[in-house]
Amino acid sequence: MSFEDWYRQDRLPHIYCAGCGNGTIINCTLAAIEQMAWKREETVFVSGIGCSSRAPGYIAADSLHTTHGRAIAFATGVKLANPELHVVVFTGDGDLAAIGGNHFIHGCRRNIDLTVVCMNNQIYGMTGGQGSPTTPRGCMSSTTPYGCAETPFDLCELAIAAGANYVSRWTSYHVKELEKAVLAGLQTPGFSFIEALVQCPTAFGRRNKFKQVIDQVDYFRTHTMLKAKRDRLLEQGEPVPPDMVTIGELARRNSPALGVKP
Amino acid sequence: MKLAIDETRCKGCNLCTKICPYKIFKEGKKANRRGIILPELDRPERCTNCRLMHLYGRTLCGVCQLTCPDQAIHWVEELPYEPHKVAIEY
Repeated sequence: MSFEDWYRQDRLPHIYCAGCGNGTIINCTLAAIEQMAWKREETVFVSGIGCSSRAPGYIAADSLHTTHGRAIAFATGVKLANPELHVVVFTGDGDLAAIGGNHFIHGCRRNIDLTVVCMNNQIYGMTGGQGSPTTPRGCMSSTTPYGCAETPFDLCELAIAAGANYVSRWTSYHVKELEKAVLAGLQTPGFSFIEALVQCPTAFGRRNKFKQVIDQVDYFRTHTMLKAKRDRLLEQGEPVPPDMVTIGELARRNSPALGVKP
Repeated sequence: MKLAIDETRCKGCNLCTKICPYKIFKEGKKANRRGIILPELDRPERCTNCRLMHLYGRTLCGVCQLTCPDQAIHWVEELPYEPHKVAIEY
């Protein structure tokens, strides 16, 4: 058995563009679920609207493809109606941070037993590359032609502040670490949030000097810093480069959770 | 075990050519029937997972399979008595 068996073979190849990182994140999530040895009939995948939210359609298990931004709201209902089910939510940044922001905050506050995998491609990829709440400062998109002037949303900080039990951030370059992080999130009772930065060669990379797919993946390799190293640098009083993204396990708590299987 | 690329799924993004620690995948030259340039295998007998998967009973490296966004890379069992090369690296 490998994670390949979780795919709906008749639906592949999927519609993602060549080089899109969403497929990588689905691979890592399914590999972690495979290690948990969950039964297919006890696993539910929920998603909203967007590129990333097409993921449950390619997985051979029960799935819900819901309205824009309401994936966590639907998943809360599924979990509370039947706590025996294992619920995994796939969302994107436009789904989770923009229109579904309030559901996300209250999912974290309730600390309901979900695992949320957010594929953050820093843009609205499906609708033509509009700027999203997580588009970094100075990045081009079709609605920010002179560079984004806004401060991006740090979803992990938001989840930590709102009270999620497990928060980590990885990228599509760090596949093995991401697999372990999703596994830890699945094992943790309570709300676990895993943010995965993914490349979007069609909408984001094309406008932001990542002409090839590998350019953006290489950017993830060179412009990310482990949380332990960042803490060490701050402790020693050395400067942290401003464009570095902090990756790693950012929070692990043991707060009381809602909807845990008795 | 041996490496195989699924021609019906690969979209030619060439992520595998950069991600493999042994540089087994290299960029192809000829487009296939769908106009997609598939990566080629450069001495695939060097793959750790192909040689040691059965001995250890688990996937050893597997980064290419996890990274491939189109689920095109997998390992297939060899036929009985299939001739295969052995690569020795110094």
